[in-house]
Amino acid sequence: MSELNKDDLFTIDLSDDSESEHIAAPQYSYWRSVFRKFFSSKLAIFMMILSGIVILLAIFQPMISGYDPNVTPNINRPEMKYIRPNATYWFGTDDVGNSLFDAVWKGTATSLFVSFMATAITTVLGVAVGMWWGFSKRVDTVMIEVYNIVSNIPATLIAMILVYAIGGGVWQIIFALSVTSWVSTAYFIRVQVMIIRDREYNLASRCLGTPTWKIITHNILPYLISVIMTSVSRDVPSFISYEVFLSFIGVGLGQQYASLGRMIQQYSPYMTSTPYLFWIPVAISALISVSLYIVGQTLADASDPRTHMI
Amino acid sequence: MRNYILKRILKSFVSIFAVVSIIIVMIYTMIPSEKVFDNDAGAKKMKGDQLTTYKLKKLEELGYHDYVSKIDMCTATFGDGAQSCIDGDEAKLKEASDAYAASGYEILTLKSGEPYALHTYKWYELIARFYKRLLVIDNKNAIQDPEDPDMERKYYWGKNPENGSPALLCQGCTYKYQMWFDGSFPFIHQNKFKLDFGTSFPTNSGIPTMQVITDGQGSTKKINQTFDTGLNEESALIQTSCQYKVQVDHLDAKRFTDKYANCRSYHESPSMVNTSYILGLIALVIAYVMGLPLGMAMAAHKDKLLDKIGIAYINLLIAVPSLAFIFFMRSIGTLFNLPDKFPQLGFNDIRSYIMPVLILALLQTPSLMMWLRRYMIDQSNADYVKFARAKGLSQNEIFRKHILRNAIIPIVNGIPASIILCISGALITESAFAVPGMGKMLPDAIKQTNNNMVITLVFIFTSLSILSVLIGDLLMTVVDPRISLTAKGGE
Repeated sequence: MSELNKDDLFTIDLSDDSESEHIAAPQYSYWRSVFRKFFSSKLAIFMMILSGIVILLAIFQPMISGYDPNVTPNINRPEMKYIRPNATYWFGTDDVGNSLFDAVWKGTATSLFVSFMATAITTVLGVAVGMWWGFSKRVDTVMIEVYNIVSNIPATLIAMILVYAIGGGVWQIIFALSVTSWVSTAYFIRVQVMIIRDREYNLASRCLGTPTWKIITHNILPYLISVIMTSVSRDVPSFISYEVFLSFIGVGLGQQYASLGRMIQQYSPYMTSTPYLFWIPVAISALISVSLYIVGQTLADASDPRTHMI
Repeated sequence: MRNYILKRILKSFVSIFAVVSIIIVMIYTMIPSEKVFDNDAGAKKMKGDQLTTYKLKKLEELGYHDYVSKIDMCTATFGDGAQSCIDGDEAKLKEASDAYAASGYEILTLKSGEPYALHTYKWYELIARFYKRLLVIDNKNAIQDPEDPDMERKYYWGKNPENGSPALLCQGCTYKYQMWFDGSFPFIHQNKFKLDFGTSFPTNSGIPTMQVITDGQGSTKKINQTFDTGLNEESALIQTSCQYKVQVDHLDAKRFTDKYANCRSYHESPSMVNTSYILGLIALVIAYVMGLPLGMAMAAHKDKLLDKIGIAYINLLIAVPSLAFIFFMRSIGTLFNLPDKFPQLGFNDIRSYIMPVLILALLQTPSLMMWLRRYMIDQSNADYVKFARAKGLSQNEIFRKHILRNAIIPIVNGIPASIILCISGALITESAFAVPGMGKMLPDAIKQTNNNMVITLVFIFTSLSILSVLIGDLLMTVVDPRISLTAKGGE
């Protein structure tokens, strides 16, 4: 027998173990799917562009114009007052001779700032406390009583009384709007956490010794993104609405601030004589909240993984 | 179950107590007391010491502090021998003011050099004083009239002068009529228990806040009535509201045989409470009559055109600031010759009511439609629906008799709670239309720094909302016996 060559009998196949891990499935990336879903809605794209323009105008237009409601250079020049909208003054001029275009964007900036800040505080505080609340029984016994007290009373009432007591500045309004609303967000999150927390995969995770903190951040929080988005998309327009309302009834921002609500209140007697003074702030306030609401709702829908199936 | 309800009621009281206490402390300590006089015509006419003493007295009346003038200080310390102290005996005055300083008072002086003692209430004193005063129970020893010390004190049965039905009367109480019956809601009326929130100031100065919001508005209305003496005349007096009057004049003597002659009056227009109540209730009915069928139709035609239009409507109404919506609707109303302000045509013209009621109703429809649609769609996938379909029931029958009855349960829970929405909705709507109701009263009171009125309205609104949530929960257990509020669920 001739000696066999070892190499003829066996060949060493250096296979790549990682390849066996590969499962043939379509590529999935969460955020890419979110954006694909979001951009499939033409209305949402249109509204996003619209709200983008509004936000940019509200940020940069007041910087250029330097509008300040307390500075009224044309107050003694009757020919400058009540000019109808034209090429020079796009939105006309108001009762003290200032350009309404400047005033409206300054007011929008205030409304947006108040609403975004209040939403941010409400959401961050609400989610943080809601998580804790859903996990800890001790927190639950205390917080459920707090929730029972707060949820029973109209939020408008609390906000009004708070602004009345602490005064009408921008930060005071933000405080008044967020001081009670975070409890409702926290409660909403608590219920969601309680539903998810005892699912099998979380029980398994706990058995394997995952710390609670990691369960919260890795297992539960990603699940709640769409829920949180829904709540944000509701909060933003509702806070704009509240700010406008508070300023309208005269307990919101004081005279020294430009605010859409105060403009609406100030110009509502002019409804028949100079309707543009009244209707432009009304229309802008409606435009902002509708566009932000629709963008938020579409984003909330898109961030729900169940909608990603093709 | 009974234990649960008792517990809930107890908790409700705690909630009301907590909220109202916080608001009292905030209003009394955080708002500068000087602001109270910003809208007071009386204070504008005065200056110097006269103004200072006026303010001190007024703030004492409003419950900010305890003010003791020099004369009161002397009288309280020395009793009958106070005259020399009042006349300027330095040593005695010093002794009197030292006594007050020792018991926590601050000794201050007017511009004229006259000293006075002042004790500003701490937060816990403010709360204690509010609740101590809150509930007034009328009793037969309430009236101590120096002119008539040996008054016979008794409860007795008489009759209601308005309709002749039996009424419980009292001699010696503040109110003559303690309990009586008539045809208006809530049919049994009483004067035994009253809530005292203090007096309104600077608007409606000196009138108790409860009276401001419950008394009729507009000019007085005279109706034909018979008085105790047998006198029959056209008069605006409400006999069942009569209180004891120390100084009875000859006009009173002509009408009344006793000294209960301080009566409230009938008015042409309903009170603030009733105005809000009428508007809110009609709006609530319209909202349900409109919202429920629309929500059902949307669920029945899911993903069809009707459903899409409905969702667009819901989103629009949620997103548009209510103020913008109200003004938009109001200007549509003016196209149909409807007034844009309530007082233009007043209470007696139906056209005044149309737009406010319609707007209040429309503001409530989106959440109603959204939730009913959601519940009905959720129910329509349930097993019992599939079973009913398998049995061969018609789609219509399944919808009305099976799905709707289950889906309506959470809606029933929300009916009393929509009173809350009614209130907050009424705040904006009533302000925009200048409707003289409670909703408009709150912002008005805030603008006027009418603190007692603000506290009164907060108390009423808070109690109403807490009560409505409780009733909603109880109503749910009545409609659906499967639901138990006491069962323990979860971990």
